[in-house]
Amino acid sequence: MATAAVAVPRSHRAKETRRHALIYLGLAPFLIIAVFPIVWMAITALKQEPDLYRMDVVPFWFNLPPTWKNFDILFNRTFYKDWIVNTMVISVWVSAITLVTAVPAGYALARLRLPFAENLGIGIFLTYLVPAIILFIPLARVVSTLDLQDSWWALVVVYPTFTIPFCTWLLMGFFKTVPLEIEEAARVDGCGQLGALWRVVLPVSWPGLTTAVIFSFTLSMQDFLYSLAFVSISDQKPVPLGVATELIRGDVYFWGSLMAGALLVGVPVAILYNLFLDKFISGITGAAIK
Amino acid sequence: MAGSGSRGRSARLAVAVGGRVGVVPWWRTPTARRYLFGYTLLAPAVLYVSLLVGAPFLFSLYLAMSDATVGDPVAQFVGLENFRAALESTMFYVALRNTLVFTIGAGILKGLLGTTLAFLLLQPFTGRKVVRALLVIPFTLPIAISVLGWKWMFDSQFSVINWALSRLHLIGAWGSPDWPVWLGQPHLALASVMFVNVWRGFPFSAIVLLAGLTSVPPEVIDAAKVDGASFMQRFSKVIVPMIAPILFIGTAFDTVFTLSDLSIVYLLTNGGPDGATEILPTLAYNVGIRAGALGRGAAISLFLFPLLLPGMIVLLRTLRRRQD
Repeated sequence: MATAAVAVPRSHRAKETRRHALIYLGLAPFLIIAVFPIVWMAITALKQEPDLYRMDVVPFWFNLPPTWKNFDILFNRTFYKDWIVNTMVISVWVSAITLVTAVPAGYALARLRLPFAENLGIGIFLTYLVPAIILFIPLARVVSTLDLQDSWWALVVVYPTFTIPFCTWLLMGFFKTVPLEIEEAARVDGCGQLGALWRVVLPVSWPGLTTAVIFSFTLSMQDFLYSLAFVSISDQKPVPLGVATELIRGDVYFWGSLMAGALLVGVPVAILYNLFLDKFISGITGAAIK
Repeated sequence: MAGSGSRGRSARLAVAVGGRVGVVPWWRTPTARRYLFGYTLLAPAVLYVSLLVGAPFLFSLYLAMSDATVGDPVAQFVGLENFRAALESTMFYVALRNTLVFTIGAGILKGLLGTTLAFLLLQPFTGRKVVRALLVIPFTLPIAISVLGWKWMFDSQFSVINWALSRLHLIGAWGSPDWPVWLGQPHLALASVMFVNVWRGFPFSAIVLLAGLTSVPPEVIDAAKVDGASFMQRFSKVIVPMIAPILFIGTAFDTVFTLSDLSIVYLLTNGGPDGATEILPTLAYNVGIRAGALGRGAAISLFLFPLLLPGMIVLLRTLRRRQD
C-alpha cells in the first residue's frame, strides 16, 4: 500500500520531467536562432576593435577585456545623441497626432451607430496595408511641396499614415468594450455627447490610449524606407537610419559602434513591443480574439 | 437599443418646443445630431488618411504615367511609356522573379516553422512565458537594427557562422573555395536575405497560429472526440476550419509586409551581387529616388499592387465576416 502511494507520484513526476525535456529539446533550436543574433550583437558592442577581427580564437566570448569605447565613440564622435532626440521628438509628435485623430474616430465608429461605420472602419484599416513602397515616391513630392525634405518633420507628417489607421482600428475595438451604461449615466446627468466622451469615457480608457501611444512609437521605429527616402542630412536622422547609414565609411563598417547604437535603442523598443504584442495580434485579427 | 441618453434628449426637446415635436427641423433631431457629431469626430482621421494615403496613391498613378524626375518638377504625360520601359528591361524580370521566389519561399518556411513552434508552445510547461518572450524578439526588434546584426554575421571573412561551421569541419578554412561568402555569391545571397526574412517572421506566424488555436473552445474538441473523431479528423474537420480566418489574416499580413519590405535586401546586399537579390522594392527605390526617375520608380512600385491585392482582398473579406 505505502510503496504504491509513493510510486504513483514519482512515475508521474518522471513522466512530467520527460515531457518537459522533450519540449525544451524541440524549442532549443528555435530559441538559439531567435536569441543568438542579439547576444552576438551585444558581445560585439562590448568588444575591443582587435578582438573583432581574429579568427584563431573562440569568438563567442571576450579575448580582450570588454570595453565601453564603442559607446563612447557613438556619443562623442557621431550624431547619435541627435538621432535619439530626433527619434523621441518624432515619436511624441506622431503619438499626439495619432491620439487627436484616432481617438475620436475610433469612438465614433464604435459607439455612434453611424451609417456605413463598419465599412468606414475596415476602409481606414485597409489603408494601413497600402505599403510604404507604393506611397514613398508620391509622398516624396508631398514632402518637397511642404518644404520638409531633409528634416525629421517630414517623418512627423508621414508616420501617421500608418499609425492613424492602425490605432483607429485598435481603439474602435477598445471602445466597444467600455460599458455603455457609464456613458448613459453621464448623459442622464446632463453631459452632452462631447462631455460624456471627454469626462466619462476617456478617463476609463487609459489602457486603450496607452496602447495607441505605444504602437505609435513601436510602429514608427519599424520604419526604414520613409526615413531613407526623405532624410539625408546626418543630424536629422532617426536612430535606425542613422546607425545604418552613418557608421559606415565607404567599405569600412564600425561594427562595434554599429551594434552598440543598434541595441541601445532596439532593445527597449523590442521589450515595449513584446509587452503589447498580444494587443497587436488581436488588433490585426479583428474581432477574432477577445 | 436607442440608449436612454438620446431618449432623454428628445423628451427635453419636445418640452422646449412646447410639445410640437413635428416641427423640429430634421437637422435638430437626435439622430441627425448624433450623425453630425459622429462624422465630425471621424473627419480628422479620414482627412489625414485621404490626403496622405488616398491622394498619394492616385498621384502615384499619375506619376507613373509622367516623365517626372527628382530635379524637374514639371512633368509631361507619357502614357504607359514607363510601364513599357519596365517590361522591356531584363532587370525588371529578374526583380519580379526574385520577389516571387523570396515571398513564396520565405512564406512556406515561415508557415512550417511557425506551425511547429505553435504546437510546441501550445503545451503547458514551466517557463512558457519567458520562452515566448524570447522567441518573439526577432519580430519586435526594429527591422533595420536586426538586419545590421545579420550583416555582421554574414561578413565575408569574420562571419561567426563561418567560424563555427569551419570548426565543425563542415566548410573549409578561410580562403578555401568552399568558404561561403553569404552575401557575395548569387544563390547564397538570395538564400541569406530570405533567411533573415524567415528569422524575423516565424515568431509572428507562430503567435498568430497560437492565438487561433487557443481560441478554439476545448469543449468543441472534446465533443468531436466523444463523437469518435480521430486526431487527424479533429484537426482537419474541426480545428482548421475554426482557425482558418485567423490563418488567412496572418498569412495575408505577412505576405503584404514581405512583398513590400525593402530594408532587408537594401541593407544586406542592395540587390547584388549582379542583381541576384534585386527585388521590386529595391528596384523601385534605386530607380525612383537614387537615379531620380520618379515616374519610372512609381511605375515599378505599382507592379507590386496586383501582387498585394489578393492579400488585401482576403483580409477585407475575412475582417468583414468577423465583424458580422
